[in-house]
Amino acid sequence: MRTLNTYTKSREAFSRAAKVIPSGVYGHLGPAEGCFIPVDAFPLFGDRAKGSYLWDVDGNRFIDYMCAYGPNVLGYCDPDVDAAARAQMERGNCMTSPSTKMIDFAELLVDTVHSADWAFFAKNGNDVTTLAVMTARAYTYKKKIVFFKGYYHGVSPWTQKIDYAGILEEDVCNNLYVDWNDYEGLERVFEENKDEIAAVISQPYMHGNFADNEMPAEGFWQKVRKLCTEKDAVLIIDDVRAGFRMDIAGSDHYFGFEADLICFCKALANGYNVSALCGKDFLKNTVSSISYTGSYWMSAVPFAAGIACIEKMKKLDIANLLNAKGTKVKESLIAAAQKFGFDLHVTGMPSLFYLRIADDPTLALHQEWIAECVKRGIFFTNHHNHFLNASLTDEDIAETAAVAEEAFEIVRKRHPL
Amino acid sequence: MCKKMTDRHHTDETTMAYINLYAVLGALENLVQVDEEAKALIQNKKISVGFSVAGGPSASLCFDHGNCTLKNGVEGCDIKLPFSGVKKFNGMIDGTVTPIPSRGFTKIKFLLKDFTKLTDILTRYLRASEQDLEDPEFFEKSTALMFYTIVSAISQIGNHDSISRASASYMQDGIIRVAVAGGPVASICVKNHWLVTVKKAPKHPDASMEFGSMQIARALFDGKVNSLACVGTGDIRMSGMITMIDNMNRILDRVGLYLA
Repeated sequence: MRTLNTYTKSREAFSRAAKVIPSGVYGHLGPAEGCFIPVDAFPLFGDRAKGSYLWDVDGNRFIDYMCAYGPNVLGYCDPDVDAAARAQMERGNCMTSPSTKMIDFAELLVDTVHSADWAFFAKNGNDVTTLAVMTARAYTYKKKIVFFKGYYHGVSPWTQKIDYAGILEEDVCNNLYVDWNDYEGLERVFEENKDEIAAVISQPYMHGNFADNEMPAEGFWQKVRKLCTEKDAVLIIDDVRAGFRMDIAGSDHYFGFEADLICFCKALANGYNVSALCGKDFLKNTVSSISYTGSYWMSAVPFAAGIACIEKMKKLDIANLLNAKGTKVKESLIAAAQKFGFDLHVTGMPSLFYLRIADDPTLALHQEWIAECVKRGIFFTNHHNHFLNASLTDEDIAETAAVAEEAFEIVRKRHPL
Repeated sequence: MCKKMTDRHHTDETTMAYINLYAVLGALENLVQVDEEAKALIQNKKISVGFSVAGGPSASLCFDHGNCTLKNGVEGCDIKLPFSGVKKFNGMIDGTVTPIPSRGFTKIKFLLKDFTKLTDILTRYLRASEQDLEDPEFFEKSTALMFYTIVSAISQIGNHDSISRASASYMQDGIIRVAVAGGPVASICVKNHWLVTVKKAPKHPDASMEFGSMQIARALFDGKVNSLACVGTGDIRMSGMITMIDNMNRILDRVGLYLA
C-alpha cells in the first residue's frame, strides 16, 4: 500500500488566497468548478512541473492526466519549445511592432491545418470562439447561433446560460439549442428560424463534462456541412480542447469535412499563451473588418513557442502517438476495474479520454475512486475529460495502473459485492 | 400565465406568493417543534387555516395539539382566507393587507390572536436581531428555521421563477440531500424538472450538499462568506450528481432576491 499524500501547505495557501482572491482559486483549476470531491484528497497549488509530472507545494508528485487542462501536449517544460521561447525572449516579446514570428506561425498553421487559409492570433480559446461568432454575424448579417447541448465554448456572456450570474436575457436570446447528433433537430431549427441563423458552433465530438463522451453519428458532420452551406450559415468548429490531439490537420479533417472557421488554443504552444482562429479565404476580409485586438495578442514569445510546438508535434505524429498511449492507459484502467468487479467506462478519443464508473448512477463511487487515485499521486479529475502528453512513458502508465488497482481494491472493500 | 415582474431582478409576485405560503408560512411546521412558546399556543388546538390565492398557491396550515402541518389545497379547512390575486396574498404577509375569511367566522379569534402571535415569533427567528443571535440556543433555532425556509423556497423558485425554470430544466430526476452537519437536513426531490422539498433526510440521495456547521450555514445565508471558497476550505462538502447541485445552487442564488 502506498503512502497517502498530505496537503498542509496547500490548505495554508488556500486560506491566504481566499482572503484576497474571489473563491480562493476560481474557475476550472479551483476546487469548486474542478469538482475536487472530497476537497481534502486534492492538491490546491502547484510548485513545479516537468514532463508528465506535477509537484504540489507540499512536495507530492503526481502523474498529471489533466496536463493543465490541455496545454501540456509535449510534456511540461519541453526543451525544444522552451529553447525557442527563450531565444525569442532575448530578441523581444511584447513590442510596438509585431515580430515576423507572427507571419511564420500563421504560415505554419496554414500549411498544417487542412481548412485554414489564414490565422488570427489571440490569447485564450474564448477570444477566438467569440471572434468566430462575430465573424459569422458580420459575414451573414444574421444573428442567431446554434449550439449543441452539452457545449462549452468559453466564458463570454454569449457562451453562458440565462440562469448564470451576471448574464442577461439579451446576452443569450439569440442562442438556439439542439441535441448532439440530432440532425433532424438541426434541420427543424433552421426551418423555424429561416434566414436568421448566422452559424452552427460545435466541438468536433461531444466531450462535455459530467457525461460519457459521444462521437458523431456516421455521416453527421457531412450532413451538417451541407446544410450550413445550403442555408448560408457559417460552420464553426471549436477545436480548443481536442485540437491536434485528434489530427494535426484539425479535428474536422479527422471526421472528413471542412469547417469554415476553426478555433485552437490549448495544445497550440505547449503552455505558452496563444490561441488562433483559422478560416477559409472567403471570411478573411470579414475578419479584417472586425475591431478586435488585445494588449498581448501579438507577443512574439508564444509565437516562437507555438512554431516549435507544432513542428515537434508533426515530427512525433502527435495524434497517433497520444492515441496509442491513451489506448494503453484505457486498457490498463479497464482491466484494473474488472479485477474488482467495477464497470469503468472510458469514452472519447484515447488521447483525451473521459472516465466514469458506471456501477453507480449517482457517481459517488466514481468520486471515491478518483479521490483514492489522487491521494496516491495520479492526478485524475472527476467529471472532465483527461489529456495525454507525449512525455508519458510506459513506466508512468504501469504506475497509473498499479495505483488505479489499489484504489479500486479500497473502494471495493468499502462497498463489497 | 403572465407574471408581473416586481423589480430589476426579474422576480415576480406569483413566485413570491408560492414562497410566502410554502416556505415562510410553511416554516411554522418547524417553529412549533423548536419553540416552546409557539408550541404552547397550539397545544390544545385542533384547527386549520386555508389560503386560497387566485392565480397562485392554495394550501392549509393544520394545527393539531402542538403540531403543525402544511397540506396542499383548502378542502375542509376551518378558516378559509381567499385572495383575489397573488399581490393581495403577499400584502397579507407584508402586513399591508387584512384578509377577510370566507369560512370560519366563529373561529376568527384564533386567526387574530394565536396565529398572529405564531407569525410574530417566526418573524423574530427569521429576521433575527444581532442581540438575539448572541444566545447560542436562539442562534441554532433561528439558523435551522432559516435553513428550512430556504430549502423550501428553492423548490418554489425552481418551479415558478422564469429564470430558475431554466436551471430546473437542466436537472435530471433524483433527490438532493441538503444538510447542516449535526443540524437540519432536507431533501429536494426532482421529477420531470419539477421540484418538491421534503423536510427530512432522503434514504437514497443522488447528490449531497452539506454545510460544515451551523455557523457556516448562517454565514452563507447572511452572505458573509462565499460558497465557492467554502468548497475549497471544506466547509461545504458535495458529492454525487454534481450537475444537480450546480443547478440547484443557481436557484439558491435567487432565493436571496425574494427573501431579502
